Order: sequence, then structure tokens, then C-alpha cells
Amino acid sequence: MTCNLNRSEDQRQILDAAASMLDADFDVSRDLAADRDRMAKIAEFGAFSLALDEQSGGAGFTLVEEALLHVQFGRHIISTHSIAAPIAARLAAESELIDLVGDAVAGGVLCGGGGRLIDGANARFALVFAPDRLQLIDIAKTTVVANNPGFGHFVPITDVAFDEDAIVATSDSRHLLDIAALLVSAQLLGIAEATRDLAVSYAGVRRQFGKPIGAFQAIKHHCANMAIGAEMLSAQLDMAAIALRDGRDDATFQVAALRLLAPQVALENARLCIQIHGGMGFSAEADAHRFLKQAHVLRLIGDAAPILDLESPMAPYKPRLGG
Amino acid sequence: MQLDFSPEDEEFRTAARTWLAGNVPQQTSPHEGQAARDYATDWLARCHRDGWAGIAWPADYGGRGLSPERLVIWYEEYVRARAPSVLDCTFVALNHAGPTLIACGTDEQKAFHLPRIVSGRSIWCQGFSEPNSGSDLASLSTSAVIDGDVLVVNGQKIWSSYADIADFQELLIRTDSTSKRHKGLSWVICDMKAPGITVRPIENMAGVCHFAEVFYDDVRIPLSNVVGDLNDGWRVAMTTLGFERKTAAMGLQLDLSVRIEDLIARADAAPGSATAERLGLLRAQAAALRAMTWRTLFREPATVFDGSLVRLRFAELAQHIHRLAMDILGPDALLMSQPTHDYLEAYSETIAGGTAEIQRNIIAERILGLPRE
Ligand SMILES: Cc1cc2nc3c(=O)[nH]c(=O)nc-3n(C[C@H](O)[C@H](O)[C@H](O)COP(=O)(O)OP(=O)(O)OC[C@H]3O[C@@H](n4cnc5c(N)ncnc54)[C@H](O)[C@@H]3O)c2cc1C
Repeated sequence: MTCNLNRSEDQRQILDAAASMLDADFDVSRDLAADRDRMAKIAEFGAFSLALDEQSGGAGFTLVEEALLHVQFGRHIISTHSIAAPIAARLAAESELIDLVGDAVAGGVLCGGGGRLIDGANARFALVFAPDRLQLIDIAKTTVVANNPGFGHFVPITDVAFDEDAIVATSDSRHLLDIAALLVSAQLLGIAEATRDLAVSYAGVRRQFGKPIGAFQAIKHHCANMAIGAEMLSAQLDMAAIALRDGRDDATFQVAALRLLAPQVALENARLCIQIHGGMGFSAEADAHRFLKQAHVLRLIGDAAPILDLESPMAPYKPRLGG
Repeated sequence: MQLDFSPEDEEFRTAARTWLAGNVPQQTSPHEGQAARDYATDWLARCHRDGWAGIAWPADYGGRGLSPERLVIWYEEYVRARAPSVLDCTFVALNHAGPTLIACGTDEQKAFHLPRIVSGRSIWCQGFSEPNSGSDLASLSTSAVIDGDVLVVNGQKIWSSYADIADFQELLIRTDSTSKRHKGLSWVICDMKAPGITVRPIENMAGVCHFAEVFYDDVRIPLSNVVGDLNDGWRVAMTTLGFERKTAAMGLQLDLSVRIEDLIARADAAPGSATAERLGLLRAQAAALRAMTWRTLFREPATVFDGSLVRLRFAELAQHIHRLAMDILGPDALLMSQPTHDYLEAYSETIAGGTAEIQRNIIAERILGLPRE
């Protein structure tokens, strides 16, 4: 076989190991605010340096394994630190700020769109996402403009102002931007899968009118739609991750397609998951709403290139007969 | 996980591309009747002459037995070169009847039919649906009694595509009058020229006659035309379920990636406009459908029902793409043309071969394990 999309034994092992770690310490019902102290657990696992080369302290895995790992982060609603850290590590390495690589890998980085810091408390650096540029800034050199508890008490937001001297490193590398888009999309896929699974299992146990609600077609069809969305996204994640890892010509196109679909599927699955849980779904005590909110956070970071600006690998050779 | 094509595969791609560039017909296919049949059989005969027919069939039966890598290469080159739609009157024979005979037929059945199918010399239709048995296929009532070594068939089928121009029909009938539902059905080869058969073509909403009603009035079919065992027809009808992922349906799925490119070129939408947004989204969805298609070839499916996920995604995406095509056409959407024809035809995608609702039931019950109704 020259083409094979089955997970390899090595991949299964690393993913199983990650799953055990996450199941043990990052139950989706946990107190998310306490996570800031627990990011070290994920860093210790090597998650943020998985695909860095061994010289930069990495484990020598590839982007494909890294993307699959981030699907699991999505399933466990891990802070956006988990995206900022591996991107910042690459940015620091690219800028030859080797001593910073260590800090970045340790997870002391956060994401912000413009000057809006997400989950900023205790962090030293922030990664700033612009459509065609990434910047690493030193939070100590910013000034706080406003604090906000975050929508639905989900994640604290800090608006900051900063000027040139706060900027530690900048990159407009398309490859790095594509990696960020890939990892964000992978986490959104994790949300799409987790909400599908949560909804399906609830539909199997919750009984009304004398039967499981999953026996009703309206519920079945919601679940089927969630399965189709997740499958579509998952197939495209494989395609994009492999293209990016192998430096294929269509890599940026595949990532752009993935990144466009990912928030839509994640938000729709999260919506259906809430709906299928009824009143329970609307309550803050159930987990469904957390996935929805995390999808809203993720969709604001790690943009891909505009898809219509790119060339499709399926361009026809001549015009269609008869128009 | 890898998606690498060997140098030999790349040579195959070049050979396919070159052959298609020199051989794809310059005219579109007529939509119906003998002219549609002639167009399709001429094309298949030409493919066969040069070794490009039956590409997924085993070599023993006149096919190419191509690897999954080469199947995907072939169909991608095929649609990019604008070769004729795979969903023509040869589709049932090449992708359903033929593979069923390969899996369940006798040596005589195979020796007679397979060479004719793969060279475009015989056209098949499918006679499963009945006026009162559509989604609930197992309730079908067209039946046969045994008279010596023949089956005598009476009843009616409907929606049988290309029945008016077909030579043979894969016919699913009740052969045990005491039986209920899936039990007691048989899968038989019906000669469409047999006395007692009446075919009435039905015009579809696109204004085309390619499906038909078929009436059976004491039609005599030799028992030797039963495929698999008598009264075991349901199992025979289901054997191709696993084969489906390697059929030309892949060509239809991949073709959506080309269709969206046509629309993008035709629309010339202003960046940021609502039309550009829709084009971008559909382009991404077509790319993802392509990824799903590759996955069906290169990854072990979790269940035999996984095909329903791709099939339904394809059907609905096709409808969305054609709908956008209508919007882009503006007032020209009212004219008879290839794009308006294609738009109207696309309404069948969520009905034919199992409706969208039935596919969703299958996904929910067979893949996700939700309780049966
Ligand atoms: C273009 C075209 C070509 C075709 N070609 C062939 C052919 O060559 N050979 C052949 O044998 N047949 C063919 N068919 C028939 C096709 O297989 C049937 O139309 C299809 O199986 C649906 O059956 P029906 O039309 O009787 O609809 P029905 O089964 O009557 O369905 C009507 C509506 O009810 C819904 N419904 C039914 N049951 C359920 C349920 N349990 N849960 C939820 N909703 C349900 C359906 O989804 C649909 O929306 C063709 C159809 C088309 C449109």
C-alpha cells in the first residue's frame, strides 16, 4: 500500500497514552479555572513539543500525530494555551530565540486576537493571531485596558494595549499559519466528536414516552447529522495534516477547506448536543454548553488563507461541454 | 498514515490522462432513449477496446482489477477530463449486476453475461422498487410460481432506470408465496425481451424519460436464471453493499470538486460578496467529500454501513451546488440547458437508492447504535 489512512501502531500508542492522561486529569466537568496550574501536566507529556525536531527538545513525531493529539485536546476542552504553546515554540525556534523555546513549551503562552487576551492570568507571553501574521508579545510590557469575566462565565478576557517594544518575535510564514489553523481545526473536530458521543449516549439512556429518546426519529436524525459532520471534518483533517506534513502543493488549500468547515461543524454539533439534552442541556451543570463556548473561542484564532484565493487540486483540464 | 503514489502509479496517471485527452467524446450525451444507449455503449466499447473498462473488476472477468490508488487516480483524471457521466445506462450493469454475478453467479451465468457487460454489449436495469414497496423494499409482492424448470412471474415494478433500453433486469421477486418480508425472495436475471413484459417509460421532473414502469404478465424465466439460491435473494441483493465503496459512485463524488470549479469560474463573484461566501463554503465541502472518498478507499471501515455517511453527504452537497448554479444563472435559470437539467435531476439524489431519511435511520441505528424503531 502506498496510500494508507489507518492509524499506525505508533500513532495508536501515543494517542492512547494521551487519552489516559486526559481522562485522568482533564474530565470535561472539571473546574476549568483551575487548569492554569495544570497546563504543566500537558507540557510534561511532551504535547507542546511533540513535532519539534529533537534538537529543539521535541519528540520527533510529525504534524499528523500532533493534529490527532489536538483532536483529543478538543474533546477535553483544554485551554487555548495548548495551541499557543506549540506555535510559540516554533516561532521562537524560527526566530532563534532558543532560550524562549523552553518557556514557550512550558505552556506560559496565551492567545489573543488583536489586544484581546484569552485566559491571560499568570501567562508571561501571548501569541497574537492576525490573518497573515503571528506575533509573540511579552505580557509584562502591555497595559491592561479592561477585564471581563467572559461570556457565560466561560473564560476570562483581558483587553491590553501594547506597542512595538512588547513584540518579541513575528512571523508571516504561511507554513506556521497553516499549522496554527490545522491545530485549531483539530480541536474543533474534537468538540464535534465529543458532542456527537455525548448526545448519542444520552439519547440511549434518557427515556420519555416509555422508550429511549434515541428511538424517536427526530433525535436519530440529529445524531446522524452530527456523525456526518464529524466524519467529513475528520477525513479532511487527515488530508490536510498529511499534505502539510509532506509539503504537498495543495497543503494550504486543504488547510483552508478544513479551517472553513471546522467551526461550522463544531458549533452545529454543540447546538444539537444541547438540544438533545433538553433542560439539562441548557443548564450550566451539564457539560454540553462548555463545548459550544470553547468552539466560539477557537474559531477566533488561527485563520487559514482565503479559500477562493487558492488553486484546487481538482481543477478541470478544459471547459464543461454544454456549459 | 500516508498518501503517496508510487512512480508506477504516476506513470499510470500519465497514461490515463493521455488516453482520456485523446478519447473523451466532444459531444454531450443525449438524455434518453436509444440515442442515450448508443452514446453510452459506444463510449464503454471504446474504453474496453483500449483496456479502460471494468477497472474495478477482477482481471479474471475481463476487468483491470486496479488497486485503490489507481482507482482514485483513474476517476480523478476521468472527471477532470470531462469524460461522460458514470451514471449512464451502463451503471447498473457495471456497478451492481456485474459485481453481484461475480460474487454469487454460476459459472455459466458469469461466462455469458460478464464479457457482454464489460464491453458495452448488454445493458441492465434494476427491478426492485414497486408501487407499494419503496423504502420498505422487503414488503415487495411481485411473485413467481414454479412450473417445471421455469418461474412464472406476475406483478409490477416501478422507477426502473433505463428499463426501456435494457437487455436484462436484475429482478427481485417473491418465490415463496407463504413467506413474509426478507425471507422467500429471489434475485433473478430477467430477459427484457421475454413475452409478457410491458415497459412504460415515465417522464421525470427534468423532462426526461429514463425510468419506467415494468409489468409482468405470466413472464417465463428459466430457473437457471436464479442467482444464488432460490428464496435467498435478499442476501444476494445485499452482497454488493461492501463492494459499493469501489464503484463508479466515487466518480460522481469526485465530480463535485470539478463542478464547483466551473461555478467559481462562471460566477466571477466579487471578493467578500454573499455569492463568494457560498462558493468558498461549497468548495471546502467538495474538498472534504473528496477526503471522505479517499478515506473509504484507504481506511478499514468501522461498519459495512459507513458508506451511508459519504453517500448522504454527496447527495446533499450535489443539491446545494446545483442550487447555487441556479442562483448564479439569474434569468437564464428558466431556459432548458445543461445546468438547469442537472439542477432538476439532482432532486433524485436524496431519493434514489435509499432516501436521505432512510440513510439517516441507518446511520443512527447501524453506525451509532441507537435503538431500532
Ligand atoms: C431517479 C430515480 C431512479 C431510480 N431507479 C431505480 C431503479 O433503477 N430500480 C429500482 O428498483 N428503483 C429505482 N428507484 C426507486 C427508489 O429506490 C425509490 O424511489 C426509493 O427507494 C424510495 O421509495 P419510494 O419512492 O417508494 O418512496 P417512499 O418509500 O414512499 O418514501 C416517501 C417518503 O417517506 C419517507 N419514508 C419512508 N419510510 C420512512 C421511514 N421508515 N422513516 C422515515 N421516513 C420514511 C421517505 O424518506 C420519503 O421521503 C429510482 C428512484 C429515482 C428517483
